[in-house]
Amino acid sequence: MVELTEANLVRRARSGELEAMRELYELHASRVYTVVRRLAGDDDLAADLAQDAWANAFQKIRDFRGDAAFGTWVHRIAVNTALTRLRQSARRRDLEQSFDGKSTLGNPDRWPVTAAAERVTVQRALDMLPEGYRSVLWLHDVEGYTHEEIGTRLGIAVGTSKSQLSKARARLKALVVGAKAEVVDHGTS
Amino acid sequence: MVHLSEETLSELLDGAPGAGAQEHLAACSVCQGELEGLRRLRAELRELPELEPPAELWSRVEARLPGAPKARRSRFGWPTLVLMQAAAMAAIFVIGLGVGRMSQPGEEGAVESPVALTAQPAAMTVADAMEVVQRLGTEYDAALANLQRLAQREGQPMPSLTEQRLASLDMLVEASRTALSVEPADPVLNSYLFAALAERDAVLLELGESQGEGSEVLWR
Repeated sequence: MVELTEANLVRRARSGELEAMRELYELHASRVYTVVRRLAGDDDLAADLAQDAWANAFQKIRDFRGDAAFGTWVHRIAVNTALTRLRQSARRRDLEQSFDGKSTLGNPDRWPVTAAAERVTVQRALDMLPEGYRSVLWLHDVEGYTHEEIGTRLGIAVGTSKSQLSKARARLKALVVGAKAEVVDHGTS
Repeated sequence: MVHLSEETLSELLDGAPGAGAQEHLAACSVCQGELEGLRRLRAELRELPELEPPAELWSRVEARLPGAPKARRSRFGWPTLVLMQAAAMAAIFVIGLGVGRMSQPGEEGAVESPVALTAQPAAMTVADAMEVVQRLGTEYDAALANLQRLAQREGQPMPSLTEQRLASLDMLVEASRTALSVEPADPVLNSYLFAALAERDAVLLELGESQGEGSEVLWR
């Protein structure tokens, strides 16, 4: 029944019915906002990204063939919109620097050590990660993207994606657990 | 002992460890704990709750859609909107009197000089105008209640004040009637007209009483 209703909404939205678009929006607004918010790490930017994603989706809804569920389709658009925008933004320039290890953001050795008293939630810790770390971590560990897909979308090498992921995980753990990186001697295996 | 690197722990988490990593892990409780911590964090990430978008997000999206109205459509023409705004202004005028009376209870000129004759921005639609008028109606009631309390404390309100209230209510009645000529079945407009008429009748009675028997009262 839900699928039938949604298919009907999509059909009406494709013919330009604003009310149908609104109903589709309300059905999937949380999911779309969540993914762009996780990638953005910031409320205002997330709102801009969600707005772009939905506008893109409805402007391209005639291209939606129904091969996947509408929610999956719009979710993918949201991820692509967010990554494109982030890549183009000034924040993205910081991200590029982080990939070559020249910036403070990208160099974990320059991060302040989080004391146990400053433990934060996973959600907050995610926001505190550098953008490049956060993007790779979320795309890989939650969205299920492969390193090859991440490399393509972010314009980085597969090896860089793997490296960013391991650093992101370590940093997230340090933020949440409050553990110092020095506790474990990170030598080579 | 040299423990596993964060890269190797990450590979173990993904099920693709380098050579020798599994052997080290089997013998090292520290690295086992590290790996378990990473596993828990990944699970927590995946269980983060969905977030609600800002309430105004849809209106921002809608404004960018082809065929979306630039502003909400009005059922009424601009002349009606202007009248509705005039009604709102009239209500503000009366409220201004009430506020002035309250703020300067002992001063002679307080009642005569309207205070806070607030200029409202142009309403975009009749819905906006009606919202303003309805809100002002509530505030008008509150201001009148204040005036009544003051009247009890200081004597009867001056006739000039009552006449100004009457003029304001006339404007409200006329604005409502004009709007109803376009949308005669609109329940909000009808109820608003009846309320304004009732209020005007009450003011007329009050005016008649304050002028005493033999005074000329114009029933409009």
